[in-house]
Amino acid sequence: LGHGSGGTLTSQLLDAGVFKLLENDLLNKKHDGAIFNLSGKVALSTDTYVVSPIFFEGGNIGDLSINGTVNDLAMCGASAKYLTLGFVLEEGLKMTEFWEVLLSIKAACDVAGVNIVTGDTKVVERGKGDKIFINTTGIGIMHPKANIDAENIKTGDKVILSGPLARHGITIMSHRQGLQFESTISSDTRPLNKIVLSLLDEFGEKIHFLRDPTRGGLATVLNEIATDARFGIDIIQKNVSVEEEVIGACEMLGLDPLYVANEGLFVTVVDPTVADAVLSRLKEWEYGKMASIVGEITTDHPRQVIMKSLIGGRRVVNMLPGEQLPRIC
Amino acid sequence: METFHIHVNGIVQGVGFRPMIYHLAKKLNLKGYVKNDSNGVNIFFNASASEAIGFLKRIKLAAPAKSKIIAAELFRVPDQIYFDFTIRVEDNKASGKQVLLSPDTATCPNCLAELNDAKNRRYRYPFITCTECGPRYSIMNSLPYERHNTAMQAFTMCKSCRDEYKDINSRRFFSQTNSCTDCGMKLMLYNDATTIISTDTETILSRIKNNLQQGEIIAVKGIGGYLLFCDANNAQAIRTLRARKYRATKPFAILYPGIKSVQRSFELNDQEKELLKSPAAPIVLLVPKPWALNELAVKEIAPGLQQLGVMVPNNPLLELIGNDFGKPLIATSANISGSPIVYDDDDALNYLFDIADFVVSNNREVIIPQDDSVVQVSKYTHQQLIFRRSRGYAPSFLDYRPKTNQCILSTGAFLKSSFTLSVNGNVFVSQFLGSAESFESQQMYRQTLKYWLDMYEAKPKIIVTDMHPGYFSHKYAFEFAEKFDAKVKLIQHHEAHFAAVLAENKLIKKEEPVLGIIWDGTGLGTDRNIWGGEFFKYENNQMDRVNHFNYFPTIAGDKTALEPRIAALCILAESEHQPSGLKEKFTIAEFNNYHALIKNANLFTSSAGRIFDAVASLLGLCDKQSYEGEAAMYLQRAAALYVDENAFNMDGSYIKEWEADGPVPTAIMIRNILADVASGKSTYYIAAKFHYSMVCLIGGIAERLSINHICFSGGVFQNALLVDWIKTKYANKYQLYFHINLSPGDENISFGQLVYHESGMKS
Ligand SMILES: [Fe+3]
Ligand SMILES: [Mg+2]
Ligand SMILES: [Zn+2]
Ligand SMILES: [Zn+2]
Repeated sequence: LGHGSGGTLTSQLLDAGVFKLLENDLLNKKHDGAIFNLSGKVALSTDTYVVSPIFFEGGNIGDLSINGTVNDLAMCGASAKYLTLGFVLEEGLKMTEFWEVLLSIKAACDVAGVNIVTGDTKVVERGKGDKIFINTTGIGIMHPKANIDAENIKTGDKVILSGPLARHGITIMSHRQGLQFESTISSDTRPLNKIVLSLLDEFGEKIHFLRDPTRGGLATVLNEIATDARFGIDIIQKNVSVEEEVIGACEMLGLDPLYVANEGLFVTVVDPTVADAVLSRLKEWEYGKMASIVGEITTDHPRQVIMKSLIGGRRVVNMLPGEQLPRIC
Repeated sequence: METFHIHVNGIVQGVGFRPMIYHLAKKLNLKGYVKNDSNGVNIFFNASASEAIGFLKRIKLAAPAKSKIIAAELFRVPDQIYFDFTIRVEDNKASGKQVLLSPDTATCPNCLAELNDAKNRRYRYPFITCTECGPRYSIMNSLPYERHNTAMQAFTMCKSCRDEYKDINSRRFFSQTNSCTDCGMKLMLYNDATTIISTDTETILSRIKNNLQQGEIIAVKGIGGYLLFCDANNAQAIRTLRARKYRATKPFAILYPGIKSVQRSFELNDQEKELLKSPAAPIVLLVPKPWALNELAVKEIAPGLQQLGVMVPNNPLLELIGNDFGKPLIATSANISGSPIVYDDDDALNYLFDIADFVVSNNREVIIPQDDSVVQVSKYTHQQLIFRRSRGYAPSFLDYRPKTNQCILSTGAFLKSSFTLSVNGNVFVSQFLGSAESFESQQMYRQTLKYWLDMYEAKPKIIVTDMHPGYFSHKYAFEFAEKFDAKVKLIQHHEAHFAAVLAENKLIKKEEPVLGIIWDGTGLGTDRNIWGGEFFKYENNQMDRVNHFNYFPTIAGDKTALEPRIAALCILAESEHQPSGLKEKFTIAEFNNYHALIKNANLFTSSAGRIFDAVASLLGLCDKQSYEGEAAMYLQRAAALYVDENAFNMDGSYIKEWEADGPVPTAIMIRNILADVASGKSTYYIAAKFHYSMVCLIGGIAERLSINHICFSGGVFQNALLVDWIKTKYANKYQLYFHINLSPGDENISFGQLVYHESGMKS
């Protein structure tokens, strides 16, 4: 990929490639911006994706950038409608790689049922980027029954985790550091909008809170919830599912799966009266077989997350202070 | 005839001070009264000026053995006439509390004699005490030390007890813990969490004896919390205990019925004997005689170790259990590995049936839980090393006078947590408060701190803590600072260690420079590297890091500390050829992965602890540890076996020379060790030569800097052999200073933090 002087290459790319591949009525109009009608309450979310490596087991930066923003909207209780797509490409990126990313973007949009309605591409000099950076911004329509707010959380609420932890983070780390495990571990990147919206359809306001445990992992999300809601959270380690091979990898690397990033998971805090029903609905979903009620909201130890460990003691699950500095003597 | 007031402060409550005053006043025919308040002991009396001065002198001379007078002052006060001398009990809550809490004290010989005297009314009463002995800190609710402020307030003395309490000629005159079978505490035997099957002492004691003989595990509420017991000669029972406690190889302590039986089975010098018999009655690490193997399942008790932790009963209940059983028992804090000792009765009943076959409780509350303290006397130079400072030692204050009365709190480190509080001109160091990762330990830490702050009505103005953002103590400091509107000050971990040992040895104002050898596992350094093998120079209140072990990479998190084989890999990362055998310690995937992680590492360490670990692994002694210091203990044992044969004779150091201003060349040392391994030298020899090399470094640096005073701190100096070797080699050449009342490990960090800040040190 050459540096587009005067944007010749860039616009060529856009015309020939991106537009054609991602075509839909709004994008085809080729305005400077997309023009459309929306009614009711909407949610707007943006995120920039700088993952390295750009290709990894289970996905690449392309589908990650679509799923990530779709999921952020879903966590607000909104159904993603339209996305914008911004690329920063580093000079030297292979066209084939770019196409592969683009194809995943297209596929992810189709699965999630969203359209890219406007976009932008910039090419920067070699060394000023890292192959591809992607920004996506999404707009979504709020589910009429959604009322997602930390203020709704109350003592006795159940905390449900939609699936097994730590796959994405381990995948990325293995690539970056050149690590190998007995069996390949793949990222869990996937859109969560459909399952979340179906839960909202059925359980409405009884779904008190939603969040996806991406960077910082489950531990970080639970601490944020505990802080925002001013309650404590009790977690039972036995109920937190992690796949065998991921446990093995974490053990080998000395990582705690609670702190490892995920891309296709969500945590929901629900009214105890619907907890079992939410769980069975989740288990019917193709990625929800390992969903579980991992814990409960409590008035004890406000703002603290405490985990009952497999061997019986209780551990304080803290927010991670940046890098994992050694602590034990 | 005038009226005077004598005020005494220090450790003066719960140690028989008032009875002593009473006796003295009666003898001198003085009239007046004595009372405790939260500032100490106060005596008001009629006398002439010379009589009053004489009285003050005699009080100082007659102070009971367990007391410690910090100040005793005489004042003239407005005249008042007294007709008798009495002891007054008042609930006086004066502000600016100064009195010091006294530690729990093991059963005294008089009480022991009564316990075993069939004619005594307290024959086999499991809670016998007098003014000389019994629980203090563990039962104190608030100051001053009066019965109604302790867990004893639930028990009303019967007539006989009350008579003793009032009788000035009785050992129990004003004994706040006084009680007997009729009016005191009762044992309760629980078969499950809700069923009491007996409250009869003899029934319970015989049940304990019989079931211990059958190999069962029994939980018993002691002074500082619940303990677990099983037959120390029953390998299967100990394995079961390990499995139920999730405790793989960490050694257990052994309770012997008495000193005589310990002497029969262990090499015991006078110092060790005194320690076992002392009022603190700690666990003492001892080397067993071959004979002991007949009565101990040593492999299950302390796998791979030369020394065993031994104690004798420190309270009447243990005395009865130990003597009835007649043989050594495993005695260990009742908890799940990593959690603090269980002391609350509900918790005990909820959790302990997972470990114990039955639970023996009693109806006196434990207010301040404590573990047993652990002490060692080094074999050759008889240096006393405290490994854990808790029951019997805590909360005795340290002989360090702060410059001001300002309230300062320091929150310590991470594992082996403790806090230190400076209030009203006194400095208190808490007991060992457990590993602060567990919620229960953090709760215990918070509760103990709250107890102290309430007790002294203290509001910290300054909170000092470690730089490491991941420590509980660090987070807690900020949380607390917000609550008290206090300032937080961060102190580097090893500088705190150094400050602690300087202060314990009264070297803060030393004119000459002092060298600090601070070796431990991990502490965050000011350069964002992980320090651990540090050399400091202290002069004019200023600390400078003058040298350190050359940095080597370490992988993120605690993995390197847990697996000595990884420490070995880290140290050898930059080396051209890796020794044969190293790769075989790993699976192929592990090896490749760790190799990759180390190659990309962005964390570097100078940890002396990791160097010990690496050498232990390279010698095939330990590749993964299940408790802190395990690998270093195996390495120490190997070296000790060499020294047993060859004394401290060694043919040289693994580090011969190094660049004038460069860091200690860790890699050269390891390379030389590997050469000896490859040429088939014995493990014992190599382990010893490694110890010796570390010893030589100390002299090398002291010589370069021309310093004559050398201090030692950090967990590495729990290694008694290393200490012996240092003292053997340098005691005549240098002034050497070790910790006195504190552990060299991270338990001393809180004290060091406080000292560093309070004495205005710089670095
Ligand atoms: Fe330390
Ligand atoms: Mg996001
Ligand atoms: Zn006594
Ligand atoms: Zn009585």
